Amino acid sequence: MSVFRDLFWFFRQEKKAYITGIFVLVIVAFLETVPPKVIGLLVDHMKNGTMTKGVLIRWIAVLAAVAAALYGLRYAWRICIFGAAVKLARQLRNELYQHFTNMSPSFYQRKRIGDLMAHATNDLQAIQQTAGSGILTLVDSVMLGGFVLATMTFSISWKLTLISLLPLPVMAAATSRYGTILHRRFLTAQEAFSSLNDKVQESISGIRVIKAFGYEEHDVEAFRRQSEDVVAKNVAVAKIDALFDPTIGLLVGLSFFLAVAFGSQMVLAGELTIGELVSFTTYLGLLIWPMLAFGWLFNIVERGRASYDRVRALLAEQNEITERPDAVGVPPQGDIEYRIRQFVYPGEAKPALTDVHFWLKRGATLGVVGKTGAGKTTLLRLLLREFDGYDGEIRFGGRDIRDYTLSALRSAIGYVPQDHFLFSTSIRDNIAFAKPEAREDEIVRAARLANIHDDILQFPDGYETIIGERGVSLSGGQKQRLSIARALLIDPEVLIFDDALSAVDAKTEARILAALKQERRGKTTIIAAHRLSAVEHADWILVLDGGRIVQAGTHRQLMAEDGWYRDMHRRQQLEALAE
Amino acid sequence: MNDGTLTAKEQRRVLWRLLAYMGRYKKETALAFTLLLLATTGELAGPYLVKVFIDDYLVPGRFDFGPVAALAAVYLGVLVLKTIISYFQLVEFQRLALYVIQAMRMDVFAKVHRLGMSYFDRTPGGSIVSRVTNDTEAIKDMFISVLAAFVQNGLFVIGVFAAMFSLNVRLALFCLFILPAIALIMKTYRRYSSVFYQEMRERLSELNAKLNESLQGMAIVQAFRQQRRLYQEFAAVNEAHYKAGMKNIRLDGLLLRPAVDMVYMLSIMVVLSFFGVTAFDSPVEIGVLYAFVNYLERFFEPVTQMMMRLSLYQQAIVSASRVFALLDHQEEAPANPDGSSHAIERGEIEFRDVSFSYDGKRDVLKRLSFVIRPGQTVAFVGHTGSGKSSIINLLMRFYEFDRGDILIDGRSIRDYSRAELRRRLGLVLQDPFLFYGTVKENIRMYNEKLSDDQIREAARLVQADAFIERLPGGYDHVLAERGATLSSGQRQLLSFARTIAADPKILVLDEATAHIDTETEEAIQDALARMRKGRTTIVIAHRLSTIQDADQIFVLHRGEIVERGTHQQLLAQKGLYYQMYLLQNGLVDAHV
Repeated sequence: MSVFRDLFWFFRQEKKAYITGIFVLVIVAFLETVPPKVIGLLVDHMKNGTMTKGVLIRWIAVLAAVAAALYGLRYAWRICIFGAAVKLARQLRNELYQHFTNMSPSFYQRKRIGDLMAHATNDLQAIQQTAGSGILTLVDSVMLGGFVLATMTFSISWKLTLISLLPLPVMAAATSRYGTILHRRFLTAQEAFSSLNDKVQESISGIRVIKAFGYEEHDVEAFRRQSEDVVAKNVAVAKIDALFDPTIGLLVGLSFFLAVAFGSQMVLAGELTIGELVSFTTYLGLLIWPMLAFGWLFNIVERGRASYDRVRALLAEQNEITERPDAVGVPPQGDIEYRIRQFVYPGEAKPALTDVHFWLKRGATLGVVGKTGAGKTTLLRLLLREFDGYDGEIRFGGRDIRDYTLSALRSAIGYVPQDHFLFSTSIRDNIAFAKPEAREDEIVRAARLANIHDDILQFPDGYETIIGERGVSLSGGQKQRLSIARALLIDPEVLIFDDALSAVDAKTEARILAALKQERRGKTTIIAAHRLSAVEHADWILVLDGGRIVQAGTHRQLMAEDGWYRDMHRRQQLEALAE
Repeated sequence: MNDGTLTAKEQRRVLWRLLAYMGRYKKETALAFTLLLLATTGELAGPYLVKVFIDDYLVPGRFDFGPVAALAAVYLGVLVLKTIISYFQLVEFQRLALYVIQAMRMDVFAKVHRLGMSYFDRTPGGSIVSRVTNDTEAIKDMFISVLAAFVQNGLFVIGVFAAMFSLNVRLALFCLFILPAIALIMKTYRRYSSVFYQEMRERLSELNAKLNESLQGMAIVQAFRQQRRLYQEFAAVNEAHYKAGMKNIRLDGLLLRPAVDMVYMLSIMVVLSFFGVTAFDSPVEIGVLYAFVNYLERFFEPVTQMMMRLSLYQQAIVSASRVFALLDHQEEAPANPDGSSHAIERGEIEFRDVSFSYDGKRDVLKRLSFVIRPGQTVAFVGHTGSGKSSIINLLMRFYEFDRGDILIDGRSIRDYSRAELRRRLGLVLQDPFLFYGTVKENIRMYNEKLSDDQIREAARLVQADAFIERLPGGYDHVLAERGATLSSGQRQLLSFARTIAADPKILVLDEATAHIDTETEEAIQDALARMRKGRTTIVIAHRLSTIQDADQIFVLHRGEIVERGTHQQLLAQKGLYYQMYLLQNGLVDAHV
């Protein structure tokens, strides 16, 4: 129940809703004890022949009033308590989202997106349930159970109450035991289902291979085996699941039996009227729910606590990239200087960069080449301040980049990443991502520079075409050029291409590079590439290997040297793409 | 697929088609229903027995031990029996539902495998996967918790009324008012909840889509400093979701349990008034009153349960309609005669006047004709869209062609059995696809006849054995995440081994384009040279450097062969090939 204490801040925040809700619940619980009482009273009147019009009308009127009040009050507490719980989910979801936007890449390296999604959906759901159904169940089962028990004990017979309640603890114990087993089997069944899902996923992704080898039927057979396993595991779940109702039925039936058996002896002995016996059995019916609810309550609370702990742990994650208190808010301009002795990715042993020193004049173009894993991307990411923990410094416009606010630093940089990520909205919104208020002509200009304008006009709705899963799917080259346009739109002080031309053909690459050269006069450009043709025209080229600069110079100089660059250049000439 | 916009008639049709699946399990269905009937009877017997006890023994004050003990014994006997039967009844209904879903899943999955490549090329993989698993799962939930509950509760309702009618016809008639009242509540609830619930689900999926996208693109969001804007967008969707949630709570509060409870109270008032009025001038049977009150008490919980599950029903019908749409989809893979005994022996390939179009408007292949002699290596080169890949699609029977003919060993490929074609034609894809499992399993695939030695032999031939043996566990090494830990070159070699293990007569290579480092490239070229020995080989080439030793090179341009010859001959022609060669080697900035 400690989760209720942990969530207390929220209960206090929504104290009006919770206090009202709980108060109403108490009244509801009290009112629920009225009808059985009335039934008993009227039965005795009938039995004793004392029934009159007045009595009947009076009590029916009472019932009608209770019914109306219950309807209104039941509606009211739902709005209060369930409404507050939904509010909690909304609040936490917003907090999580905001938190996510503040976390640095090292956080995303450690966490899987699937898990983060699960926290924001399943965990919030469990917490919402705790703050809603959890509270309801707690209050309702305690209050209703308490009132009913009190009425049975004090106004009818404590002896009979004790006797007929004997089977009910067994019921609570049994159902809670079933719940544990069920949960376990359910997880197994879920796993079987998710591996079935993986299997289908794999078959669909590998459909060409399967078809090429003519293994369709074999694959269907393999699927049959696996889906039969799913069935078997679900039957195991069903076997436990089906225990609940019969067990409850059996024990409640026993309870009724005891009540009637012993109750009627008491009636014969004159200790009880028949009316009281009838209302007693009706009360018994009312007790089933609080009993069961108590079992559920533990499940709900258990899950809620685990979920809330996970969400809190997530929210407690600190962003290691912090701004200095006296950080400069003016976007940097000027030369860039790298003085890095060593950089190691968090959690890794091998340094990703070692002794990377260079000076880049404002307005110059720098090429960075090297094998996959040589450190090209790392070099660029440090300039964006995605990571901080390096030995050395990077200076931009005469200051350490850590002296600027993140926003100021990043506003000076246009970044085109290796894995071109686009949002599933319109092409216009994607290009204008960093500047939503951009004018039409600005957007078109960026698109033209990135050589994507003509492609866009081919799409059904031009710039308004929606891309991604719900819209048009783009080729790799088109995606790359769109993300180039996105970076160009803000006309950044520094433009960074991280292997951003790999999927466009040689002609387009040349055209884009030429356009950049002309348009970005006086502004710095850094191009990391696998294909050397992308950096040939750079003012300075760095060759990285194993995180170190192994060669540096202009294209001409590097071609004159016996080394990786010239080697690679020859090979690439031989293997260049035919597109 | 426009969700949730099915007309009532369509919904009914879908439901009937779903129920028809139960016909495949007649025995199980009959058993489940029989058990249900018994369990319901047992359930209803309880209050009746108590009523007999009250009216015949308790009220008169006659307490003969024999009959009373007998009554008690019957009550307990029925209780125990009913408990056991209803347990099996519940299990059987769930089992039935699981069988139905299993049958449906098999149907969908088998159907998917019968569909032609054109379907897969157009439809996102995720949505196909959803049809097979998630949609059927939604239907399962409905079968278990809605259909079974509807049948069980429906029968119970009928039983309650039957019991009440047998106790007191007049009062039972009065109680009939419950049915239209409940029906009205249900109908109203359903009308609004289908809208509100749908809205909430849409908001939720919008919310999740937004979150997922933001998480995936967080590096971009941060690099372009759009955190605040995206947060505001997210908060707006979150707000809409909250409002939709509140609407549902309000609706549930107005029409669900509180409303049903109100009807319950009304029914109690009716029963009490009836007996009360009767009691003005004659004695009443207290036991009957007890039984009525008791029956009514049990009547309403199932009703609430059913209503709460209506949204599941709605969801399942939408899912089912999607599944059925896939089952009815007419886009089957090209047909081949199963029983054909023609065999491919030499491996000669001929395209005779083949034209082909994907969309029926624009031809990607135009009257294409060529012959490849057994054992020859032939390469196709050309720009994107020149029709290179379409040649593979037709030769592999991924797509059906309608004009011209493709012959192997002088016979149309339409006349061979699918099995023969698959056995003799080995395709190596650009993007090597590995399955979850061990290295050995990935080479063997479903070909159980392959011995471990043959697998090793195949790996040796393509020189994959060296790196495989270095893996922990060697050939039994389990490939994590479909080979993500291997380099792309290693993955490519594994897929070569897979093809070679099947020992095809004809090799079709869709050559890998990028992302292979130059070192592995050499190993791959070496492996390819060994694989080609003794086989007719078609290479779809992206790099001219790798095909210089081909026996023939065809240059494709807009679906036509514009040049043909050996590398040297083509260079001498100074045509398109020559231009491409120059461009690739960066020698001249050619304007093709």
